[in-house]
Order: sequence, then structure tokens, then C-alpha cells
Amino acid sequence: MSVIAPKFRLGYFLKGIFDNAFWILTIVTLAGIPAIQIVLFYLELPVIDGELLTAFLAFTWLFNPTMQVPLIKALIYSDLFRIAAFPGFGFAALIAAGTIFVERKMLAKLQLRVGPFYCGKIEGILQLAGDGLKLISKEIIIPAKADKPLFWAAPVLFVGTAAAFVALIPVAPGGWVVADLDVGLLAVFAVIGFFPIITILSAWSANSKFPFIGGIRALHQMVSFEIPLILSLLGVVILTGTLNLSEIVESQSSFPWIIFMPIGAIVFFTTMLAELERIPFDLPEAESEIVAGWLTEFSGMMYGLVQLGSYLKLYAFAALFVIIFLGGWTGPVFWPPLDTELITEGIPIPNYAGDPILTVAAPGLPLLDKDPNEWVMQEQGGLVYTSGQLLVSGVIWFVLKTVGVIFFILLPRGVFPRIRLDMLLHIGWYKLIGLSFVNIFIALGLVYAGVIGPGGIL
Amino acid sequence: MADALFLAISVLTIGSAIAALEMRSLVYGSIALMGTLGGVAGFYVMLDSPFVAMFQLAVYVGSIAVLILFTVMLVKRELIFKKIEDPKRKFAGIGLMLIVILALGAVIMDSGIKTISTDSDPVDFREIGGDFLTYYWPALILMALILAGSVMGALVLARREDTIENE
Repeated sequence: MSVIAPKFRLGYFLKGIFDNAFWILTIVTLAGIPAIQIVLFYLELPVIDGELLTAFLAFTWLFNPTMQVPLIKALIYSDLFRIAAFPGFGFAALIAAGTIFVERKMLAKLQLRVGPFYCGKIEGILQLAGDGLKLISKEIIIPAKADKPLFWAAPVLFVGTAAAFVALIPVAPGGWVVADLDVGLLAVFAVIGFFPIITILSAWSANSKFPFIGGIRALHQMVSFEIPLILSLLGVVILTGTLNLSEIVESQSSFPWIIFMPIGAIVFFTTMLAELERIPFDLPEAESEIVAGWLTEFSGMMYGLVQLGSYLKLYAFAALFVIIFLGGWTGPVFWPPLDTELITEGIPIPNYAGDPILTVAAPGLPLLDKDPNEWVMQEQGGLVYTSGQLLVSGVIWFVLKTVGVIFFILLPRGVFPRIRLDMLLHIGWYKLIGLSFVNIFIALGLVYAGVIGPGGIL
Repeated sequence: MADALFLAISVLTIGSAIAALEMRSLVYGSIALMGTLGGVAGFYVMLDSPFVAMFQLAVYVGSIAVLILFTVMLVKRELIFKKIEDPKRKFAGIGLMLIVILALGAVIMDSGIKTISTDSDPVDFREIGGDFLTYYWPALILMALILAGSVMGALVLARREDTIENE
């Protein structure tokens, strides 16, 4: 009979706990606290209400109800929050997790299956968490003759590059982007250029036949589809005259560019499918031919990291499509404009008879408006909104559009078969490049005909 | 801060250039070459020209380095070079390199580069693009024709005569 712990004795158990506690206390005292002090020394701390926020003050204010909103607001507007949580990694990873769930269930419904069903009461919603736990707890196996440094580095580099791509995506009005570059679109092209390198290096370092074939296929595919990808976005750059992604979004406040550039949008969508290695262009991971392509030798959390990176990349590409062709966060504002009296006077508080006895000044929407002490007003479509209202509405529109594009990226997987390699290269090098040049000439024609651009009709 | 960054990027660039030459493994050598090209992109960023830096990354690191990796992985190593260890040639090469560097440095230092003021505003890439399309348009068209000609020449040279063999 097998038992989990055959030699269990309470004394050993307690000794283990005390040993762990001793070592944790020792290491925290000797290394942890000095490390925290060093980090605090170099950290640029915010100034709230004229006082520099030190660590002691932060702990004090945690229990002061009037200071909690400014404290949280200072946290939200810090760089760390941007990189780790909202427009950066956490937000993208959340959307990526949702994408995996929707992909499984939607494909199952398309193919008259059930899909993941048992984990969690509703539609197997906990399957993803279960898979994550499984991947973390599995052993990482490295092939005996693999090139170890590169093999270890490849998944981490893949996730890092995908996160760099995510960092360039603006999500909401008012500068909600991790890296707001003046040459944002070029930075996107530069980041996309790193993916084939990482793919081929990881494929080579596994020292195995299937990953190498998959890596060579991925390289062919990515390099040949990068050129139409870049060319298909140039039409929008010609019309807007800027490379900054936020400015490209703001140029579409009255109409999205897909109205004038449907060909560019189609070319970009096709190249996007190819860059993401999704069906019908999933030759690098063709599971019926070469096991799992360049992912064959990855196991455990290394495979998990590559999957995380590829879904982050999927989100970033869908968001790029939304930003460039569908107008990003622009759309009707859900939240009706606030009363001007509320902003200028404050909130009147009546007594029992209904006569106003005092007026409380309302210092902006809590958490959402940028400045805690005054209202930041912006005009959009003839109405005046606060920046917090525009933020909420913008994020909702952006997520709705991105989810729609992700749905259309997932859909071909249930519909189309995989295409041949020579057909893929033919599409990339002949048809898509030709179509993207057609798109560029349409943009030039619109500019020179005086329809759009400086001095144009629209 | 800028000096520390400059030193770090210089060490990265020159160190990985030396590594690219000296590594026994060709794949690691080409990775080191990527480090060199990325370091040059870092110099462009420090010189307030992110436009050129991004093109450096997209073209050199993203495409040229991939091409080199691809070639290295597909060609058998014994076929392309034999191991020739000759310390005399090595030292001669290092000496030649030093002479060339000193000569070039002397020429550059003598050319009045010290009198350039460094606190002027960076030139916007839109102005450069506008200049290219208006004042320097003959040069642009000449470059485009040369590139198109070289691409066509490469296509003609690389064309295989499979169809004739099949007939």
C-alpha cells in the first residue's frame, strides 16, 4: 500500500518548519531588508499634498481614510504600474488568458465538440489555471546535446520581446502607454524583427530535427511576410504624416482609416496571421507533420513561457490593427457629461427641508482624473468631458475592438486547412507585396487629389 | 549618466565586435555581431536620432543578422573555412588595425570636428524626409534605381534553370 509520507513523524515536521522559519528570518534580515533600503534609496518617490512620500508615511497613510485616494492615485500614475499592470504586461496577459479560454471553447463549438468542461462549474473556466499549474510543476527537460545557454535564453527572450511589443501599444487617451515614442511605428517594426532571430536560435539550439525544420520554416515565413507587413502600414503613415501611434489614433476621431484603406487592412491582417503562426499559416508548428515544430523540445514552464509570449504577441498585433485601421479608443463616450454646476460649485447638501446648507467642492473624479485637485476638462464631439470619463470610455472601446479583432484571428483556425510552403511564399512575395503597393498608391492618390491630408476636404 | 551610458554602449559594441571575430562557434559569433549592431543603434539613440536607430535595429539586427545566421546554419562549417592558426598573421592584423584606427582618428581629429557645438537641437526626421523629396530628389531616384538594378541582377543570377531540365 502506498502512502504519501511513509516515515512521517511530528518531530521531523516541526523541525522542518522551524528550520525554514530560521533561514527565512536570517536571509530577510541579512539580505532582504538592506536590499529594500537600497531600492528605496534609488526610487523616485512621489510628492503628495506637498509632502514627499516616504515608506513610513505610506504605511501611516494606509490607515488614514482621507489620504488613501491620493495614495492609490500616485501608485496608478507611477511608471511601475504602467509597465507591470495597466497598459503593460498585466493587462495584456489578462487579455491573453481570456483569448486562450475563448479560443478553446469557440473552436470546440465550431467543430461540434464540448471543449474543456470539468474544471470550474461554468464552461470549464478554471482549465487555464489548471494548465498553468501543470506547466509550472512539470520537469524541465533539456536535450542532452542541446546548446544550453541559448536553449534556456530563448523562451525568456521570446516573452521579453513580446512584452516590448506590448509596451509600445497606447490603450487610452491621455498618454496611457508605457513607451510613447515619436517613432512608435518604426519601433514596432524593429521589435517584430527580433522574433525570427529568437525562433531560429531556439530551433537551432535544441539540436533536433523537428525544431530545426520548424525554425527554418518560421524564418522563411516571418522574413517574407515582414515586408508586406511594413508596406501595408505605410499608407496610413502617408495620410497622417506621423509615426507616433497615439497621434495616429487621434487622427481617426471622425472616421477610421479602414474606410479608405481596406486593401491595406486585408494585407495587414493576412501578414498578421502569418507572423503569429496561426492557421492557415501554421507551418512552423504543423503538428501533423513535424510534431510541434520549433516548440518540440520545450517542456514544462519553458513551453508555457513561449505560449505566453505568443499570446501576448497576438494581443499586441490585434491592438496594432485596432490602432491603425479601426480608430483605437475613439468612439462615442458612454458616460454623459457632468453638470457644469457640479464642477464649478460643488455638490450641494440640503437640510431636512430641502434648503441647501453647505456645498462640498468635488475635487475631480476619484482615481480616474489625472490631477487630484482640479477637473481636467477635454472637449470631444462638441461636449465637454473630464479626462476620467474619456479614460473609461476609451478603454472600453479599445478592449471591445481588440477583442473583436482577436475573434477574427481565432476564427480561421476552425475553418481553414494549412497551406503549402510554396503557396505561402508565393502569397507573401507576389500577391501581398503587390497589394500593399496598390494601397500605397491609393494613399498617394488621396493626398494628391486633395481629399485627405494638409488642405484636404476631410 | 550620459557618460556612463556611453561607456556601457561602447564596451558592448567593441567587446561584442571582438567576440564576433574571435568566437570559435559561428552561431555565437553572429549573435555577438548582433550585439555590435545593436550597440551602434544605441549610439544613434544617444545622438538624438531615434529614427536612424530604429532603422538600424529593423534592418541590420532584424534582417542582415538573420541572413547571416541562416547562412551559418545551413552551410557545413568544414566547407567554408579551414582552421589556420598563425600567430604572425594575427599580430600583423592587429597592428594593421591599430595603424588604420590611428590614421583615421588623426584625420577625423584634424578635420575640425572639435569646433562643432553639441548643444544644438536635433534635426527632426520629418525635415530630413522633406529635404530628400524636394532638394535631393535626384539623389533619391538614383539610389532607388541602383537598388532596383542590384535586386534585378541578384534575381537573374540566382534564377535556377529547373524548367529546362524538366523538359
